[in-house]
Amino acid sequence: MNRLEHLEDDRAGAVKKTRRSFISWFSVGALAVCAGVMTLFNLIFLKPRVSQGAASKFRIGKPENYASGSVVEMKEAKVVVRRDGNRIAAISTICTHLGCTVNSTDVGFECPCHGSIYDLQGDVVAGPAPEPLAWYRVGLTPSGELEIDKQSVVDAGTYLEVEA
Amino acid sequence: MSVDRVPEKPLPEGDKPGLISSLKQMPTRIYHSIFRYRPVPQNELEQAQAVADNFFFHIHSAKVRERSLKLKTTFGLGMLTLNVFLILCATGVLLMFYYVPSPDEAYERMQDLNGAVFFGRFLRNVHRWAAEAMVVLAVLHMMRVFLTGAHKSPREWNWVLGVVLLLLTLFMSFTGYLLPWDQLAYWAVTVGTAIAKYAPLIGEDLRYVLLGADEVGGEALIRFYVLHVAVLPAIMFALIGWHFWRIRKDGGLARPTTPQKNEVTPVTPDEQPEYDRFPKTEGKTYGLMAVIPIRTPQTGADVEKQVHSWPSALGRELVLFVITLLALSLAAIVWDAPLEGPADPSHPPNPAKAPWYFLGLQEMVAYDAFWGGIGIPTIFVLLAFVAPYLERRKGGEGVWFHPSRSAANWTFLSIMLLLTVLTIIGTFFRGENWDFVVPW
Repeated sequence: MNRLEHLEDDRAGAVKKTRRSFISWFSVGALAVCAGVMTLFNLIFLKPRVSQGAASKFRIGKPENYASGSVVEMKEAKVVVRRDGNRIAAISTICTHLGCTVNSTDVGFECPCHGSIYDLQGDVVAGPAPEPLAWYRVGLTPSGELEIDKQSVVDAGTYLEVEA
Repeated sequence: MSVDRVPEKPLPEGDKPGLISSLKQMPTRIYHSIFRYRPVPQNELEQAQAVADNFFFHIHSAKVRERSLKLKTTFGLGMLTLNVFLILCATGVLLMFYYVPSPDEAYERMQDLNGAVFFGRFLRNVHRWAAEAMVVLAVLHMMRVFLTGAHKSPREWNWVLGVVLLLLTLFMSFTGYLLPWDQLAYWAVTVGTAIAKYAPLIGEDLRYVLLGADEVGGEALIRFYVLHVAVLPAIMFALIGWHFWRIRKDGGLARPTTPQKNEVTPVTPDEQPEYDRFPKTEGKTYGLMAVIPIRTPQTGADVEKQVHSWPSALGRELVLFVITLLALSLAAIVWDAPLEGPADPSHPPNPAKAPWYFLGLQEMVAYDAFWGGIGIPTIFVLLAFVAPYLERRKGGEGVWFHPSRSAANWTFLSIMLLLTVLTIIGTFFRGENWDFVVPW
């Protein structure tokens, strides 16, 4: 009789224990999930959705302002605009090595920081740069102005055809 | 011996004393409401109380081993690093009164500090040189710990905390680098964050979140500012507290198991214990000390020489602090902190260099972007974190260049030497286009 009672007690204890441990594990789990979600949201919060700097899309005037064969370096925007016959392209002047601004030369680009050299296409000829320079999409606005979109990187050799 | 403790003075019961005599008592009462003991301890008990019962001192134990205070045990490097950190906090807070983290104003504020603000140039110089010193001192402290085997069990976790603190120190210094918004700052951070871009998978995002934009600009400046003046110092304060607390909990400074002759007070012959205190004879009832499964009290062993923290440790700390402050003040008077022309995103200098402590990294990046910028540094940092857990046996704790640790020590020294050489090459031997130049 006595032994049986003990067994009963043990079983009751076991049930209690499971319930109690379920609740504690559940609470700990819920807290962990909340903390995890909060951390994730805070991390996403830190990644700006709206960039505050210079606009990534900007207009550079009418195509006729650029003579055929001309290369115009825009220091502020860090792009070079090149017109080749009736074709216009925009190439980034941000070195792919460590982010310095490259200088446009007759045969391509040269990075003054660590000596990377690119050809006219932006392909790496020499130096530590791991990737070619980026080409940006050039478009025409309804008003007939050229517009560069630095958010949109296109394949090297992608030009915009304009009327002569 | 009667304890000559400053008596607590409760308000008298019974008859009220006269108003005048009460007022006369007031200064004493105010003093004793703030300070619990007399200003200068008169005996050993008070010396112990001065440390143990003081909010600011109680991180110390009441007594320390004489050995811990010897210069060659630590060269005071950890303490010096802390001193420099405290000086950085003080000067940094003062500089905050004038600084504005905006691309339009930051540089002008630097010029104001240099010219218009009384004491401004001095404070900025101290802050700058202290920042450089902290990086150097933290590395030297790390070398001391490793070369004396002080990272070994049970101090593994404190070593890990130290590595985290070193990384935070570097990050702290890096975020501060941008704030003057001069050419040096702008391009060093452009180059420094470009290195982060080489991290696989998260590189681009990491750089974007750090800068808050695609390029270094106003967003990056405010982010670096917040990290520099709030986030990182708060984390560092907490971790420094933990780091110091662990020193005590891990049993003080690392020391050899058997102390040197001159570090102990030998027990006198009549105190010699019978070594067989608990003979295992049949039918004998043992005392508690014989049966509980812990080390028995060390009766019979020589007693390590100890001194009171007040004034032995505190005095030395004060001297170290004065030396730190003096050295930094002198440096600030003799050398001005660099300030180049205002940041100009369209005119990179040639060569553009990261802050000097990242130049070893930049030098490696010049050889190979991924391995130099991310691969090898990651391996080194991971090695630093697991170093104490790679130790396989006891021995050599608290001894410089212990013979049993020569393999570990040489590996460690080789890595440190490699990083130093790369940093020196990057700093002095790299000129235009990152070409090799001879500086003289």
